Amino acid sequence: MSLTVRDARVRLDGTAALDGAELTVASGEVVALLGPSGSGKSTLLRAIAGLLALDAGSVWWGGEDLTSIPAHQRRFGLMFQDYALFPHLSVAGNVGYGLRMEGNEAPAIKRRVAEALSWVGLDGQGNRRIDNLSGGEQQRVALARTLVPSPRLVMLDEPLGALDRQIRGRLMSEIRQLLEERRTTAVYVTHDLEEAVAVGQRLALMRSGKIVQTGTLDQLRSEPADLWVEAFLR
Amino acid sequence: MDRRRLALGRAKLGRAALGRAVLTVLPLAFLGYFFAYPVGRILLMSAGEGWGNLNTPRLAGTVWFTFWQASVSTVATLLLAMPLTWALSRVSLPGRRTFTALVTVPFVLPTVVVGSAFVALGWTGSVWAILAAHIFYNVAVVVRLVGGVWSRLDPTIWEASAVLGARPARRFWNVTLPLLRPALAAAAAIVFVFSFTSFGVVLILGQLRYRTLEVAIYEAATSFLDLPSAAALSVLQLACVALLLATAGRLSNRLAPPRLTTSLASPRRSRRTAGIVVAVSFGLLAVPLLALARRSVGGFSALATRPTGLGSPLAAVANSLRTAALAAVLATLVGLPLARMGAGRRWGRAIDLLVMLPLGTSAVTVGLGFLVALGEPVDLRTSPLLIPIAHSLVAVPFVVRATGPLLSAIRPAIREAAAVLGANRQQVWTTIERPIVARAAALGGGMAAAVSLGEFGASAFIVRPESTTLPVLIARLLARPGAVNFSAAMALAVVLMGVTGLLVLAVDRLGEPRW
Repeated sequence: MSLTVRDARVRLDGTAALDGAELTVASGEVVALLGPSGSGKSTLLRAIAGLLALDAGSVWWGGEDLTSIPAHQRRFGLMFQDYALFPHLSVAGNVGYGLRMEGNEAPAIKRRVAEALSWVGLDGQGNRRIDNLSGGEQQRVALARTLVPSPRLVMLDEPLGALDRQIRGRLMSEIRQLLEERRTTAVYVTHDLEEAVAVGQRLALMRSGKIVQTGTLDQLRSEPADLWVEAFLR
Repeated sequence: MDRRRLALGRAKLGRAALGRAVLTVLPLAFLGYFFAYPVGRILLMSAGEGWGNLNTPRLAGTVWFTFWQASVSTVATLLLAMPLTWALSRVSLPGRRTFTALVTVPFVLPTVVVGSAFVALGWTGSVWAILAAHIFYNVAVVVRLVGGVWSRLDPTIWEASAVLGARPARRFWNVTLPLLRPALAAAAAIVFVFSFTSFGVVLILGQLRYRTLEVAIYEAATSFLDLPSAAALSVLQLACVALLLATAGRLSNRLAPPRLTTSLASPRRSRRTAGIVVAVSFGLLAVPLLALARRSVGGFSALATRPTGLGSPLAAVANSLRTAALAAVLATLVGLPLARMGAGRRWGRAIDLLVMLPLGTSAVTVGLGFLVALGEPVDLRTSPLLIPIAHSLVAVPFVVRATGPLLSAIRPAIREAAAVLGANRQQVWTTIERPIVARAAALGGGMAAAVSLGEFGASAFIVRPESTTLPVLIARLLARPGAVNFSAAMALAVVLMGVTGLLVLAVDRLGEPRW
């Protein structure tokens, strides 16, 4: 199954935040959505997730039109830029939240949470409180929380944005590995070219609410759609 | 397609908007009718004959006493609390956190209990007793506010000044003190306002030989039945407090916050000194409370066997508990929506100012305002709800301050995160919002109940014989002659101290910044 966004248009505060954005993500593919800040990357993710309704256009999963399906029924995962962890729940409570909403039994939730915590290197730390975690640990909890219900599409919104340089490199390769192992269909938002190339199999360049061009770095460099793309990838 | 329905995952947006509007308007209406309107009436009333009635030389004496006792109380509190603040914030003593929690106990004790404790020491009728009681009360303010900053000062700045040749005394004077100045200014402002508007302590210990403006307001209204003069005095006091707070606010804004870290280095020698400081400070703080406990012996049996002539003490306990419960509910209903609004950045400052006003306005003024304003259209002055309403006004600032940080956790992103993980609107409420609100409500309600249990200023005005609360009964017993009445008052003060103490301990656990 693949994701298709057709001619997505959203006006926010009188300006066109999404201005006819088109995006396709094939099954098992990781697309890096790249663009300067304010280009509409987060808005597009929110529209795909169902947190923001489109003024025009549509969102499809395979042959299923999701455009008017509310967020909680889309079975997509979104990792928020500032993680948006639940402050009143423990690490395990956060990671297991999606499974709880699916109506799983407590023992199954416990087992899968433990499993997910070991993917992100937080084995046995389920009882810790969110406000005692470092930035990198919060990031791992947010990642585990997003991946553990096995969403059919994973969206990561600048997942490394708030972290310092030293841990960025390590976490970046960990995320790529996690997504590849599980053959996850994913959209990875970043404004950093290096990060986009490292994680994404394909790049989608965004500017002023539109997807300007998609392809691998080599394709985009050899045949840039316009001068802006050429300059941006330099 | 309705985009909002999709975003929120619900259809009945109209009802939700209505609910929000009600939650906004009701607390404001409550504060408007029960605070702004009565205080406004007092302003109007004083504008007429009130000022003419005032006996000028006597008033000048009262204002002078109010100012100088507040100044002396503030300076003495700062000086005496600094060694303890240092010991608890800069030295890694065993049991440090427990001591820091214990030091808060005097601060939350009802004024009547503190007054009684110093009466038990036999210091009645002296200005020293009033000053000592104010210091006893406010040590916690300094330890908490100044210690909070002191414990996080970067130790490298001392090392730097030591390397540059400064001796310890100079380091304190040239480095530590300037960095602590904002915290010291904030603590001083709070101690000054509390001492300036002091009522229960001064009424009990000053025995009307010494009176603050607050006591003079009470006296004018209840002994001389001169409401216009009382109103004029209230306005005078309101103006003084507002001026003070504004000045303090300007001062502390101008001071840059110091650089903070977390580390605690303490050589063995300073640990011994700190241990002595803590022992001496706690010894001194315990003296009045021990005296209170000792003088209460015999009071319990007197209460059980002899009528006080002022109504049953058990009934007063029941009244106090019932009032505290009602005040907790009211203050939570009013305070939580305000705290929620205050958590939004746009209204934050305005809400903060609005809810702090009742605190700056003395409780006595609020009580007086009730008597003046609430006789019509419906005469609420005889309503059993009157005292809980007055208490809730005094408690709302505490509720808002305590619950604001908890409620600000409910951000849109948190709700969206839950939605993406599969929670529908109902589930977002039950799993995310409700637990957070419930905890905030428990915390706010507990705070409000503690405030209500100890509230004396407003109650002294509006209490009716059948609704006497514990603090009022204690004050009345103390005003009567006889050893039996005295030990009965001490016994009730011990009860009040116990109940308040337990409640505050419970609330303190809830109020921990962690979940």
